[in-house]
Amino acid sequence: MLDLRRLQEQFADFGAYQVREEQRMRSRLEDALAALKDCHPVWEDLRERARTARPGWLVAGLREPPGAAHPASPRPTPVTVVAADGSQIFPDRHVQPTCYLLNISRIAFQYGTLERPIMEAVPDFRYHREEVQEAMDDLEDLLDQQATSEVVSALRDERELEALLDTAQRARVPGRPLVALADGTLIRWMLRRMQNRTLEEKLIERYAALLERFRAECIPLCSYISMPGNTEVVNLLRLFREEDVRPPDPEASLEGLPDRRLFEQVLRPGERSAVFESASHIQRDYAPGSRICYFYVHVPATRTGAAEIGRVEVPHWLAEDPALLDLVHAVVLSECEKGDGYPMILSEAHERAVVRAREKALFYELIERQMNAAGLPFGGSRKAASKRRPML
Amino acid sequence: MRKPIAEVIESGTRSFVAEVYREAEPPAFGAWVRVPGGAAVLYAVVSHVEIGSVEPNRRAVAFGKTPDELRREMPQVLELLRTTFRAQVVAYRPEGGPLRQTLPPQPADIHAFVAPCPADEVKALGAPFDYLRTLVRHPDPSVPVDDLLVALLGQIYTAHGGPHGGEQALLAAGRVLSRLMDDDHERLQSVLRRVVV
Repeated sequence: MLDLRRLQEQFADFGAYQVREEQRMRSRLEDALAALKDCHPVWEDLRERARTARPGWLVAGLREPPGAAHPASPRPTPVTVVAADGSQIFPDRHVQPTCYLLNISRIAFQYGTLERPIMEAVPDFRYHREEVQEAMDDLEDLLDQQATSEVVSALRDERELEALLDTAQRARVPGRPLVALADGTLIRWMLRRMQNRTLEEKLIERYAALLERFRAECIPLCSYISMPGNTEVVNLLRLFREEDVRPPDPEASLEGLPDRRLFEQVLRPGERSAVFESASHIQRDYAPGSRICYFYVHVPATRTGAAEIGRVEVPHWLAEDPALLDLVHAVVLSECEKGDGYPMILSEAHERAVVRAREKALFYELIERQMNAAGLPFGGSRKAASKRRPML
Repeated sequence: MRKPIAEVIESGTRSFVAEVYREAEPPAFGAWVRVPGGAAVLYAVVSHVEIGSVEPNRRAVAFGKTPDELRREMPQVLELLRTTFRAQVVAYRPEGGPLRQTLPPQPADIHAFVAPCPADEVKALGAPFDYLRTLVRHPDPSVPVDDLLVALLGQIYTAHGGPHGGEQALLAAGRVLSRLMDDDHERLQSVLRRVVV
């Protein structure tokens, strides 16, 4: 229950605070734009500095001048675009027996043709005590590993990428360009939180192997991030300003300015930025050809919403091929145009994958029925029960 | 027997809702359909046809694109539409028995196949037209019953041979309707006037 009156009191200074913050951001933005301009003639030196410096923040690797902007080319027709997404019902500490569910969607559209699309979602119910370890195949040392939310999320990400690869293979038509579009980042940052080094490494290794299969099959893979919070390009400018050597007054530092604010000023509608290399350590286990590069793209305003800077991640091998970069750029823009500012096919993949509250309740109901039929008690915690039936 | 065009997705003794197969032609308003079941064949009149979203939480919106553009660039849109119809059950034929113009003892099974009625079966659904009483006295409140009668009489006329014998059947049905409508000639006239013959 939210006491709106008490909340209202706390809103008193909210607007004024946000105005001050925005002013701070704007002055940083001006400094960042000046640095971007100044570093242009010496960008190759900056590239070297970015390679060798260890400033303690993630710095974008350079492949071209960081202020470069490229217009979009028209999207080819026909073209195949595939996407996958996943959702889950996490193992619930308040529900016995322990079990969880993954639901992975697969979408393939043959744009410009009248061919039937692929639109499906496949549920995967896991309840065996060994199941998590099974999913980890040879991890004998992790026999006691619990099906934690982190592991389930990591498995879901893996399944999504697997489904994407599989759908791309299924939908591929000889001679027709294809793009496989994933949701979110291809860099497995979240695995860092797992607190289990062996498991983390195993999961990254398997993810890296999947990325390599895209390369082996020549399937152009990219992922789209809406409203990205990354700061690697701004961090690069901090390096240029030597903020690592002479830390400035916190008010004068560019720290905290997201890359997207910078590219709002640099890119015109539809344009994409230079391609940068991710320096994230998590991908030291990715094969060099599958390490992640990225660019920003100015998604134009639509009928119902403002313009946005999106982030597109691609594997290194794709970044090396200008024609494939153009293809990915054109497909992402066309998707965003049709999807009212966000890739239409990703919305569709999400719609297919999502498990709604009503369906989740049904899932537990089915489990309860099965348990009853087997003559076993179905145990929810008293806490879970009390949340369902608040008393008056 | 004709190929099924739809499948029952909600069912009661009085009416059922069926989803039309993607590749099939939806039945016309007022058309006769048949649902074979274990113990009986059910006969029903299509009283409402609807096109809508497959998913209850997704509404159709205007895109400003032609159907062809939609198919080529937004293939999910047409994929997520479906046609459903409601049919009022008015007669049944028990296995090996005669046709009965009354509600069946059991509803159609969920997922039972629905096929259009061939002309000879529509013809068999003739005098004494007891089902007209069911339709007029206990109409589905969301369906304008007179319009349903107009469509139904058109079907009766055609099944009985159109210009070659259809008029007799139409007259017989008209007489039943006249009695049902308590000699409300205005109403009867407005129904008969609209039957396309």
